[in-house]
Amino acid sequence: MNSEQSVVFVIDDDPSMRESLESLLRSICHEVQAFATTQEFLLSERPDVPGCLVLDVRLPGQSGLEFQRELTRLDIELPIVFITGHGDIPMSVTAMKAGAIEFLTKPLRDQDFLDAVHRGIDLDRDRRTNTAVLADLRERFGSLTSREREIMVLVAAGQLNKQIAAELELSEITIKVHRAQVMRKMQAKSLPDLVRFADKLAIDITKL
Amino acid sequence: MLVAVAGAVLVTAPVARVSLANTEIFLPAYAAAIFLNELITAVLLLALFSVQRSRAVLVLSIGYLFSGLMVVPWALTFPGVFASLGLPDPGLQSTASIAALRRLGFPLFVLAYALLKNSDSSVRNSHAPVRGTILRSVAGVVAIACGFTWLIVTGDDALPRFMSDTRNVSEPWQYVPATAVFLYLIGLTVLWRRQRSMLDFWLIIVLCTLLIELIHLSYLSAGIRLSVGWWAGRLYGLISASLVLLVLLSQTTTLYARLARSVSAERRAREDRLVTMEALSALIAHEVNQPLASMVTNADAGLRWLGRKSPELEETRAALKRIVNDGHRAGNVIEGIKTMFKKSAQERVPLNLNQLISDVLRRSQGEVQLGRVSVETGFDEQLPLTTGNPIQLQQVLLNLISNAIEAMNSVTDRPRVLGVRSERHAPGSVVVSVGDTGIGLDPEHKDQIFEPFFTTNRDGMGMGLMFCRSIVEAHGGRLWATDNVPHGAIFQFILPHNEDSALPNKWKLP
Repeated sequence: MNSEQSVVFVIDDDPSMRESLESLLRSICHEVQAFATTQEFLLSERPDVPGCLVLDVRLPGQSGLEFQRELTRLDIELPIVFITGHGDIPMSVTAMKAGAIEFLTKPLRDQDFLDAVHRGIDLDRDRRTNTAVLADLRERFGSLTSREREIMVLVAAGQLNKQIAAELELSEITIKVHRAQVMRKMQAKSLPDLVRFADKLAIDITKL
Repeated sequence: MLVAVAGAVLVTAPVARVSLANTEIFLPAYAAAIFLNELITAVLLLALFSVQRSRAVLVLSIGYLFSGLMVVPWALTFPGVFASLGLPDPGLQSTASIAALRRLGFPLFVLAYALLKNSDSSVRNSHAPVRGTILRSVAGVVAIACGFTWLIVTGDDALPRFMSDTRNVSEPWQYVPATAVFLYLIGLTVLWRRQRSMLDFWLIIVLCTLLIELIHLSYLSAGIRLSVGWWAGRLYGLISASLVLLVLLSQTTTLYARLARSVSAERRAREDRLVTMEALSALIAHEVNQPLASMVTNADAGLRWLGRKSPELEETRAALKRIVNDGHRAGNVIEGIKTMFKKSAQERVPLNLNQLISDVLRRSQGEVQLGRVSVETGFDEQLPLTTGNPIQLQQVLLNLISNAIEAMNSVTDRPRVLGVRSERHAPGSVVVSVGDTGIGLDPEHKDQIFEPFFTTNRDGMGMGLMFCRSIVEAHGGRLWATDNVPHGAIFQFILPHNEDSALPNKWKLP
C-alpha cells in the first residue's frame, strides 16, 4: 500500500491496547514502533521518514496533552492522532488547537483511525518536501552576490529594468546581465517562477 | 423580675394618684407604639401558623390583631387628644368601653389558645389553604373591630356609665378590672398547667405584665386618667410587651436559621453521595472501557489479517488470543465491583415500612417546612413486614419525597400536599406511594424519567430515579409513576412482603 517508506509511532500504556493497535496498523502494511511511555519514545532512534504519532491521552505521569506541548518545545514536528477512553470537548479542543490531526475516543472505529493516520503521514510527507525545497532555495539564494540579491528583490517586486537602473544608478545593460545571472543561479525558468521563489524565501525570512 | 415589679410598684405607689395635666399629647405616640407592637406580634404569629397549621396559634394572632386594632379608636376617642382634628364628639363612655373590650377580650383569646392547644394535633395535617384562612381571619377581625367601634361611638347612651367625668371612673368600671384580673389568673393557671412550648412560656410573662399594668391602672391610680400611676402602668406594659416582641423576633430568626442549616446539611449530604456515585461510575466506565476498546481494535486487526490476499493465520490467532484475555479482564472488573457493593447492599433485614416512612418524613421535615408543604400520611396499620436494605429503601423514599417537594415549588394557586401512603396490595405485596400536587409529569417525557441521565432539573444528574428503580427491582419489586388527580404525580413502588402475615402490635404507629 505504501510505496514510499513511512512509520507510525504508538504510545499507549495498556499492553493489550498497544499490541492491538500495532497489529491493526501492520495488517495494512504500516511500519510500526510502539512504546509504553513517552520517555521510551524520546529515547528511541526514530527513522528519518514521514511519520505519524498515535498518542493516548491518559498516560502515567505526563498526560498526552502535556507531551504534545513538550514535542513542540523540542521542535519535533510530528502529526498527532489522539486516542482516549473518555474524551470531553474542552480536551479535544485543546488538542486540536495545538495542531492534532484527530481526537478519537475508544473503542475506535478502525476506518476513522486508519484514515487519520494516513492523513498524518501525508501531512508529514508534504511538510518534509516543503522543508527540503526551502533548504534548496536558500542555498541557491546564498550563491547570489549582494548586487544580484538586490536586483532579484526589485524584479520580484514588479519593477522594470529601466526603473531598477534608475534606482541603482546603473545602466540598463548592466541590469540585464545581472538579471540573467539571477535567473540562472536561482534556476527560474520564467519571471513568475522567480516571484514564487522570492515569496517562499520572504515567508521563510519573516517566519524567522 | 419580681424584684423589679415590686420596685416599680413601690416607687410609683405613693404618688400614683397625682394627676399629670396636659400629658394628653403623649397619648398618640403611646397608642402608635402599642398598635405597631401588637400588629407585628400578630404577623409573627400568623407566620408561625402558616408553618405549624395550629389553630391555637391562629386564634392567638387574631387576639393580638384585635387588641392592636382597637387601640386606634381608643386613642381617637380619648377626650381632648384629637379634638383639633374636628372629629365629632364621641361621648364620654366610648373610650372606657373600648378599653373594657380590649382588657376583657385579650385574655379570652389567650384562654382559647390554651384550650385549643390540646386538641390541636389532629388538625395539624389538615391542608385547608393557609393563605385563604389567614385572609379570611384578618378580614373578619377588621370587620368586627370596625363594627364594635361603630356601635360604641354611635350608641353612647346605651353604654354602661363607666366614667363620671373625662378623668375619673365611676362605680360600674370597678367590675371591668376585677373581671380582667380574674380572666388573667385563669389564663395563667391554664397556661402554667399545659406549658409546652416557648410560646406558652412567653405568654405567661405577657399575662403577668398585663396584670401588673392593670393593677397600676385601675387600683394604684384608682383609675384616674393621666395620673402618675396610670402612665406608669401604661409605660410598664409597653416596655415589657416590646421586650417580649424582641424575644419572639430573635427566636423566629434563630429557628429559621436552624431550619435552613439543617436543610442545607441534608442537601449537602445528598450531593456528597451523588459525587461519590459520579466518581464511581467514571471509574467503572474507564475500567470496563479499556478492555472493551482493546477487544474492538484486536477484532478489527484480526479481520484485516484474514482479509488479506493470503490470510495471515498466525497474526489472526494472536489477535483472537488478546480478545480472550481482554474479555477475562473486563469480567474481573465487573466481578470486583459486584463484591464491592455486595457487602453493603446484600444486607437484608425485616423492615416495618411504616416506621421507615416516618423516619424519612422526619428527616425531610426541614425541606417540607421550607417548601410550605403539608404532609398527609395514610398508613395501613396492619401492614406486614418486608425484607430489605433499610438504607437503600430510605434513599428511595428520600429521593421520591424531595422530587415531590421540588415539583411543588412553583405551585401557588393550590395547596401543596405531599401524600405518603402504605397499603397492602394483591396477595404477597405491599405498595408505598408518594404523591404531590405539583406540576405533574410531562407526557412527552413520561417514558424517559427512569432512564439514566434524564433530568429536568438544572442541577440534577438524572440518576435519582434510575437508582430508585434499580434498588426497588433489586428488592424484587417495581417502581412506576402515574398522574395524580387533578394535579401532580404519584410515584408508587410495590415490594413483596414476608409470609408471616401482619405486623406485631408493638410496631403499630400511634
